[in-house]
Amino acid sequence: MSLKGLRLVQVTGKGGVGKSTVCMAMGLAAAREGLRTLIVETSGSQNVPGFWSKESRGYELVWLGQKLACLSVTPEAAIEDYVVQQIHFRRLFQAVFRNRVIGPFIDAVPGLHDAVQLGKVFDLLREKDGTKPRWDLVILDAPATGHGLTMLGSARAMMELTRAGPLFDGVAEVDAVVGDPHVSGLVLVGLAEELPVNETLQLYEKLGETRGLVRLCVLNLCVTDPMMPQTGGSTPAPALSLVGEGAQQHAWPTWALQATTLLQARRLRSQSQELAKERLSSSIPARILELPDLRFKRGELNLEALEELSQHFKRLFQ
Amino acid sequence: MSCRVLVCCGSGGVGKTTVSAALALRLAEAGRRVAVLTIDPARRLADSLGLGLVGNEPVRVNIKGSGSLWAIMLDARRTFDELVERHAPDPESARRVLDNRYYQFAASRLGGSHEYMAMERLLELQRSGLYDVVVLDTPPTRHALDFLKAPQRMRGLMDQSVLRWLVAPAKEGGWRALELGTDAAGRVLRRLLGGSTIGEIADFFEAFRGLGEGMGRRSEEVQALLRGPRCRFLLVTSPAPTARSEALFFLSFLQEQGLPFGGFLVNRVAPLPEPVDNQPGGFATPEVEQLLRQVVREARTLGQAQRRAIDGLRAARPEAPCHLIPEEPGDVHDLDGLRRVARSLPEI
Repeated sequence: MSLKGLRLVQVTGKGGVGKSTVCMAMGLAAAREGLRTLIVETSGSQNVPGFWSKESRGYELVWLGQKLACLSVTPEAAIEDYVVQQIHFRRLFQAVFRNRVIGPFIDAVPGLHDAVQLGKVFDLLREKDGTKPRWDLVILDAPATGHGLTMLGSARAMMELTRAGPLFDGVAEVDAVVGDPHVSGLVLVGLAEELPVNETLQLYEKLGETRGLVRLCVLNLCVTDPMMPQTGGSTPAPALSLVGEGAQQHAWPTWALQATTLLQARRLRSQSQELAKERLSSSIPARILELPDLRFKRGELNLEALEELSQHFKRLFQ
Repeated sequence: MSCRVLVCCGSGGVGKTTVSAALALRLAEAGRRVAVLTIDPARRLADSLGLGLVGNEPVRVNIKGSGSLWAIMLDARRTFDELVERHAPDPESARRVLDNRYYQFAASRLGGSHEYMAMERLLELQRSGLYDVVVLDTPPTRHALDFLKAPQRMRGLMDQSVLRWLVAPAKEGGWRALELGTDAAGRVLRRLLGGSTIGEIADFFEAFRGLGEGMGRRSEEVQALLRGPRCRFLLVTSPAPTARSEALFFLSFLQEQGLPFGGFLVNRVAPLPEPVDNQPGGFATPEVEQLLRQVVREARTLGQAQRRAIDGLRAARPEAPCHLIPEEPGDVHDLDGLRRVARSLPEI
């Protein structure tokens, strides 16, 4: 399944699985294919600019490359934009919203925060540069809510409450685009471990009809079994099978004995990842993309690592 | 009350639930009466603790030693319902809130409600006299701080003075003015939400008015507990370099708020093996030696990067306790796994 032709890719998943990493790697790949790409972070997250050694500018654009930029949206800024669109006078907004009653009241409408942030993304998709859209692709870093819903699911829940009225209409208009599988795609990010796969499956369950938007599952931090030939094949190279031979080991230096423990751990992890991946692929029909754990090679995630990861997304935009 | 409280904070995915459960298990197997309150347990862990899919009531876990361990999975909605019933002046007032459409929709979805209910339950457990220690596993949030900030939003919602304004009659320029849109705030809100939604929320606030005072008091009691001498906040964090700034930010916030810090628990730390040396090895083939060298080299790359990050954390805050929990080869999903994790935990 490809991502070519989509205007919006929503990257979602539970906490700590590496959604930002996927957004950045995907952004690099798309920009290299010539797409003017914008990465949007939500709920005040500002993780992206640091990887390019830049300061975040919050609600203002930060250019990362010739065709790649990022932006950080907060519900407060998105609400201000939305209300000002409705009432046309920013000064009036400021007078009203400084009123301390309104703040808690806005918090009292569940899903509103997600709805207005999606509304901002919708506006960004419609922005024009002359006659063409300003952005060919918007990549949205959209973590699952505490209730296991996507941002779109949360916004739709808010529609259930309001049932009618201007906000309802606004969200319905956004939904028509953000929920359209020809325009918008979902990417589920997870880890190839038992419990995180459970979480990915739970998230998939809760998608309901939005399942049709799922284009891709990405599994982060995947390891290969160091004893298996990298080119495929299912048995270790014969010479390497001697590693397990206890008879040899009495002559080995300490570091080598420690190494066998590490090797066992790596192999175990690789095998349980295979099982986790099979569980996932048997329940979710989307393509699964495994991203390698580069920490063994590079120590930490940095721009070079992101460039390497972005190679895995190249074909999806061609 | 001599019951201690340990609050495990941290952003989503760091392993808070496992660490909270391991901490609770260790204290219980050392002879204490312990309750662990979890919010979002992974199914296998819940099974190993004896928790089913529902369970706002404590379930006893089968452990070794002379103490006891009780596990509770927070049902935020039920806790909120019980809160309403407890604080309502009479059953009809409670009914009016519980039957209100907006309440039914919003109660468990309101931003901050899970966090607020976790605090509620914490207070109740701490006061029960049944436990020596209560360990709270906080809800998974994007940022570790969200858990601490969220209850203030709920509080704002139920702030007595706010409610008074909202239900005041029209001539005082209060709620009805908002609904009728006779003033600027009202007009904006009306355009934003529409009249009928405002009306429903107003009905809810009206019905909720009687509960306001009791809940406000309760909120203050929770704040006092959290700032008291028997409470400690622990931050479960990752050894990744990118986690450091959030950990430091969290500690600063705790200190600003006067909340007592118990330490950083750095979870899933990769091993740092000894470097290879050049002694003759007696390996069967060069491939074997190469493989082992590669494995060590890679493990050292990762282990060193993590330790640099941890050293950076320690250097920034040398006075803050900082403990490392080694990563487990597989998932932790039973009591033996929790015991292994518990071995690395400090005396808290």
